[in-house]
Amino acid sequence: MNALFLLLVFGIATWLGYRVISEVPSLLHTPLMSGTNAISGVTILGSLVSAALAVDLGSKMLGFIAIVLACVNLVGGFLVTDRMLRMFKS
Amino acid sequence: MNQTCYAVISVVLAGLVLLGIKWMSSPRTAVRGNRLSALSMAAAVLLVLWNNGILSVPLLWAAMAIGGVLGYVMAVRTTMIQMPQMVALLNGLGGGASALVAMSEILDKYGQMAVFTKLTSQLALIVGGLTLSGSLIAAAKLDRRMTQRPVRLAGHNVLSNGSIVLALAMAVFSLSMESAVVSLSLLVMLLSLSYGVLFAIRVGGADMPITISLLNSFSGLAGAIVGFTLSEPLLVAVGAIVGASGLILTRIMCRAMNRSLMNVLSGAIAKPFNNGAPAGANKAPAREAPAAGTGEAADQPEKAVREEPAGAILKAARKVIVVPGYGMAIAQAQGQVKRLVDVLEARGVQVDFAIHPVAGRMPGHMNVLLAEVDVPYEKLREMDDVNPEFSETDVVLVVGACDVVNPAANTAEGTPIYGMPVLDVAAAKHVIVCNLDTHPGYSGVDNSLYGMPHVELLLGDAKVSLERLIGEIEGGASDVSAQDLGATVQAADRKEPGKVLAAARKVIVVPGYGMAIAQAQGQVKRLVDVLEARGVQVDFAIHPVAGRMPGHMNVLLAEVDVPYEKLREMDDVNPEFPETDLVLVVGACDVVNPAANTAEGTPIYGMPVLDVAAAKHVIVCNLDTHPGYSGVDNSLYGMPHVELLLGDAKMSLERLIGEIEG
Repeated sequence: MNALFLLLVFGIATWLGYRVISEVPSLLHTPLMSGTNAISGVTILGSLVSAALAVDLGSKMLGFIAIVLACVNLVGGFLVTDRMLRMFKS
Repeated sequence: MNQTCYAVISVVLAGLVLLGIKWMSSPRTAVRGNRLSALSMAAAVLLVLWNNGILSVPLLWAAMAIGGVLGYVMAVRTTMIQMPQMVALLNGLGGGASALVAMSEILDKYGQMAVFTKLTSQLALIVGGLTLSGSLIAAAKLDRRMTQRPVRLAGHNVLSNGSIVLALAMAVFSLSMESAVVSLSLLVMLLSLSYGVLFAIRVGGADMPITISLLNSFSGLAGAIVGFTLSEPLLVAVGAIVGASGLILTRIMCRAMNRSLMNVLSGAIAKPFNNGAPAGANKAPAREAPAAGTGEAADQPEKAVREEPAGAILKAARKVIVVPGYGMAIAQAQGQVKRLVDVLEARGVQVDFAIHPVAGRMPGHMNVLLAEVDVPYEKLREMDDVNPEFSETDVVLVVGACDVVNPAANTAEGTPIYGMPVLDVAAAKHVIVCNLDTHPGYSGVDNSLYGMPHVELLLGDAKVSLERLIGEIEGGASDVSAQDLGATVQAADRKEPGKVLAAARKVIVVPGYGMAIAQAQGQVKRLVDVLEARGVQVDFAIHPVAGRMPGHMNVLLAEVDVPYEKLREMDDVNPEFPETDLVLVVGACDVVNPAANTAEGTPIYGMPVLDVAAAKHVIVCNLDTHPGYSGVDNSLYGMPHVELLLGDAKMSLERLIGEIEG
């Protein structure tokens, strides 16, 4: 995949994200931040590929640790967000 | 797998993540939105595993199991009050993961990478590294494992700007130094970690909303850059969405704090004159207490104006204990001490003297001096006898004593006074210290009493300080100027705040970080319930930067089941203040400071604030009258329609509830 295509994806996603998120009321800023923070654990996708395909043992270990960290970020992040949001009942 | 098919599924998943965030814009759909995002992420993980043919690699599943269990345990153990530090910590882990992936890729296949990939891998290292260290520092600050005050090193700007520029230079340099790429990359990593630390340590507690939002943006950006390195469009797309969301929040927070992002990034962060949180939160004891006196005026000029509180506090007191020390002997102030005691007793105040066994320079030194001025012997109480009484004492007046009243004797292990029995003056409601200066006593150990919020220092010649106190009590002058603190104490005696509350029809509650510190949200909710049961209309006004992260107050209030319709945003609620009978401020300071509209040249000038002064009455439940994080005195406190209930907000609120119900 070429760099230009990736840059295009980056640009479009940033624009879309910006449009969608500017509508979130301040009431939900903390859950939003916590939720998007969990989503930033998406880097796990990179960690998985990197750990699986690495030849070098050092790289494999780094990849392994990266998966653990990203997974803590994902699971922990989504769970705390869920806990927070469930409190906002009307 | 067909790459077109893969691309389509990727786009769909990215779209679902976006939809999940979209759903988070309304409380009704927010839970669903978060779960949708979580499911999409799980699907994305499976998709990537499948697409790369690595579904059955046990190593990956083992790593995910470890991370999943850790994440689960952390998430269920966190209390709501710990949310800011938890979010910061998780954010750092995400950044760290991105940095590690970049490092792993560099180690493994730097030689075969295209220039674009080489550059992005280094960039991911930088952004991921600074997110990791910056978030960890932020989490430590929020968790009070580190000082909340901004830490500035010598040449801070040079160090921080230097480290990031050098990191970028090394990243570019490594293109032409392929043989040394591993050591260069390690250097890049170290430099970016240092930048994160340098960036985060000089941020004070109240600027955390901006910092956390920005770091949140960075962690998304780091993920997107890793996506570039790995040619993984799904990662690029989702990372970019997170980056954008963090950026929006950062902008909102900056606007609310009246600060530009460049200011924050370049370190032109709030003036450190006062470390306090907005809302009279805990003060770091390192700072000298507001010198309501003369001696140290040069140190804290903005405080020197307020000389009244000490006199007003004494005026309102019912039980006073005087603690004399060697300083009284030096200043020969025993005559003034006696006169002050006479004045107080004439007003019906109960006055005792607490005599520490080693006060002065010889056994019984104080007793002799006080006997000289005809203080009755019965009034001189010994330490063990008087110590239990401090907690029920309104005011302790320390005259020239230091080591014998230093609470550090109980806590500061390894110092010369550790373990020494001291007079427990800190337990009293107020302490007025008439010492020459704040230098440590004979022991050389700093007196931790001086930094406590309920302690007023009257520095300089004790004779002069005491004369002034006598003047303030006898003269009527302090009546007018005592609105700041005296009015509070008196008002509390008259039980006015409760009456005002009981008579109100429309009430707006303004919570701040002080409510979080005092953990007073339960009491706030109970008070609101009591009021609503009486038919009062109650709303909450939420300033965008109230608390330590975006939406901090909302989470705390939701925790105690305050319905979200009651939480009103600033622009929405500001026009309603003039028709509001009563505003109840709970631990908020800067965000309700009218000086933001008028005090040009101060850090808060121009910052949008809640217009509470427009209401008919205002009750402020703050710990003390110290300025908030901005260091600007709150002009609200001196206004005639404002009642101050100082001290622990929990107790102030309990009292209000009691007064309304009783």
